[in-house]
Amino acid sequence: MDLFVQTIVNGIIQSGFYALASIGLVLVFGVMRVVNFAHGELVMVGAYTVWLVHAQNGVPYLFTVVLAIVLVTGIGLVMERFLFRPMMNDPLGGLICSIGVLFILQVIATYVGGEGPSKQVPPPFEGTMVIMDSIRIPYQRLFSICVCAAALVTLWYFLTRSKLGWAVRAVSMDREAAALQGISTVRISMVAIGVGAAMAGLAGALMAPLTNINPHMGHNVIITAFIVTIVGGIGSLPGAVIAAVLYALFHTFMTTYFSGTIATISGLLIMVLVLIVRPTGIMGHRVSE
Amino acid sequence: MNIQHQRESRRKFLKQVAAGAATVSAAGFIPGRAFSANKTLTVGMNIPMTGDLAPWGLPGFYGCEIIANNINAAGGVTIGGETYDLQIATYDHAYETDKAVQGMKKLVLEDDAKMVMMLGGATVAAVLPWATRKKVLTTTLLPSDITPDSEYLIATCESHPLYNVTGVEYLAREFPDAKTAVIVTNNDVEYGLQSTATYQAAFEVAGIEVVDTNLHGFDVTDFAPIVSSVLAKNPDIFCMATSFYVTPIMEQLYHQGFTGKIISCTLDYYHEIIEKTSVDFVNGTIFQFPDFDDPALLESGISFPDPAGFDAAFRKDHPNDWSAVAWEYPVILLNWLENAKAAGSVESEDVTAHMTGNKQEFVFGGGDWWGSQLWGLDNVLIGRWPVVVVTDGKARIQEYGDLAGWLDANKDVLVKHMKNLGLRTV
Repeated sequence: MDLFVQTIVNGIIQSGFYALASIGLVLVFGVMRVVNFAHGELVMVGAYTVWLVHAQNGVPYLFTVVLAIVLVTGIGLVMERFLFRPMMNDPLGGLICSIGVLFILQVIATYVGGEGPSKQVPPPFEGTMVIMDSIRIPYQRLFSICVCAAALVTLWYFLTRSKLGWAVRAVSMDREAAALQGISTVRISMVAIGVGAAMAGLAGALMAPLTNINPHMGHNVIITAFIVTIVGGIGSLPGAVIAAVLYALFHTFMTTYFSGTIATISGLLIMVLVLIVRPTGIMGHRVSE
Repeated sequence: MNIQHQRESRRKFLKQVAAGAATVSAAGFIPGRAFSANKTLTVGMNIPMTGDLAPWGLPGFYGCEIIANNINAAGGVTIGGETYDLQIATYDHAYETDKAVQGMKKLVLEDDAKMVMMLGGATVAAVLPWATRKKVLTTTLLPSDITPDSEYLIATCESHPLYNVTGVEYLAREFPDAKTAVIVTNNDVEYGLQSTATYQAAFEVAGIEVVDTNLHGFDVTDFAPIVSSVLAKNPDIFCMATSFYVTPIMEQLYHQGFTGKIISCTLDYYHEIIEKTSVDFVNGTIFQFPDFDDPALLESGISFPDPAGFDAAFRKDHPNDWSAVAWEYPVILLNWLENAKAAGSVESEDVTAHMTGNKQEFVFGGGDWWGSQLWGLDNVLIGRWPVVVVTDGKARIQEYGDLAGWLDANKDVLVKHMKNLGLRTV
């Protein structure tokens, strides 16, 4: 029973990272119809920022989290202005550009951090909360899941309660119709990639004290984000959040009771099954030609 | 050459290297080769210097640089009547097999490397056909690379993962109440599975039951579920075998309140683990790779020139890069130089013949050629191996284990576990 409850706790904590990492991918695809392959590397940049500024130079952790968000948002905006916008009508071109950015960011990370072992960030929040003598939640993870939840609620509020958020959703639903209503699709694209990149930067900054940081860490992030995005429904933000929670719980249970390898294979199989049986995913919708 | 004479020249050579180290320390580093009229002797390192396995390549190069600088500062090395300055040529294959083949050819054909040091695994398997055909003396840290036909492939330092049995022997003797163990490690054939088979054999011999073995892939980003899963079996011992993920696993053990014994092949960058957990938690962890400022390396029978000076020089230039391989490639280099001196030649055929045809002193004492029982060729040099325990936040050698004795007595148990995991044996 203890293991079962601990596994649920582990899964919920993991779901926050999956959701944050996937949201950006969904936003950018929904609004710009570009598959941003460099999204995992944006998470990596967030983590590297915390390592470099906080762990190496002693700047307070919370400040470096904000810095990571600002920096990664900046990178996202540069990508939008100089790569994705010129490729607006060429999704394949945008995808190839994002792959180029992926490699560039990896090389920069290698240059900044040097070669050698993965980077480690000592946890700013030490200690572990013990519930009923058996369920254990490290304070760092507790902090992370709270911030993840707060970020997702803020995003939800922004998208459903602000005019700009409505515009983002409108462009995501139908770019042409939104433009005909007077919405600046260029401006909304900037907002979408800015918000998506900010979420990626936040995810990286929160993950930094909990994982091995290296230039290639984005690889696993993007695979998970793709699974979550496809299962949730491509372009669907609520779908991504629901899929993130379900996938995190599924993966954690499979890893705990079977093995990590079976968990990963099963996750990919589910993605394939969804593509075959229900290509729109949990919350996606069919778009007529 | 008789053994006594060989030992004397070995000691003389090691003293020269130590003197070189003192010269470099006293005068600051002067690039000897810039003023030297000596010929150049090139030794190659075809290793991962970037990518995930860089920690098991790059620190070795840094270590060899120190040795080469010391030798050159002492006037070079005389082999066959010719005095050479030593040069280390590197090729970064990033642990990719096609690059490893390219690197081998570049080092041998363009740089004229007389011996090539490698990490081992798939990259060695890739270069082996060409290197064997060209009779290039190649070294590996993974003796499981050796095949009955790999005449020019030797392992003169690390006998991964055989030496892990010494840690288990120590643990079983010092903590007789620890009777159950779990093993968590990566599921690759070269490191994880080889090490798992060895630990399983060692635990069986020691009367310790392995209650769970969790072999995971390289895509794990969160070790919480894996650690929760195995800790549910209430093990007395947590074994990480040869894991690439020691730090995050240790962190999870800490947060999930594990209080039993921890044993691992490596504990690279253990100071970072302490930063992420606590000194008290990491204290008592058993592993196999010493720091070289360890006083136990000053006792007789250790064949390494000024270990503490080497450790200090390394950490001065590369304060955060010391890993298990930092001293291993230098050990291989020194052993090769000694044999080249004794053979009076730098050519692969001569040095290999001298090496494998004569008794060698292992860096930590002892020294027997072994390997045919598992891999078909006695090209692995085994000897005493240190058992290291973190004490007051510092890695300290507790004893030197008798690897040869264990293998003589328990080889069949090891073969059984290797076969169970589908690993190649003769």
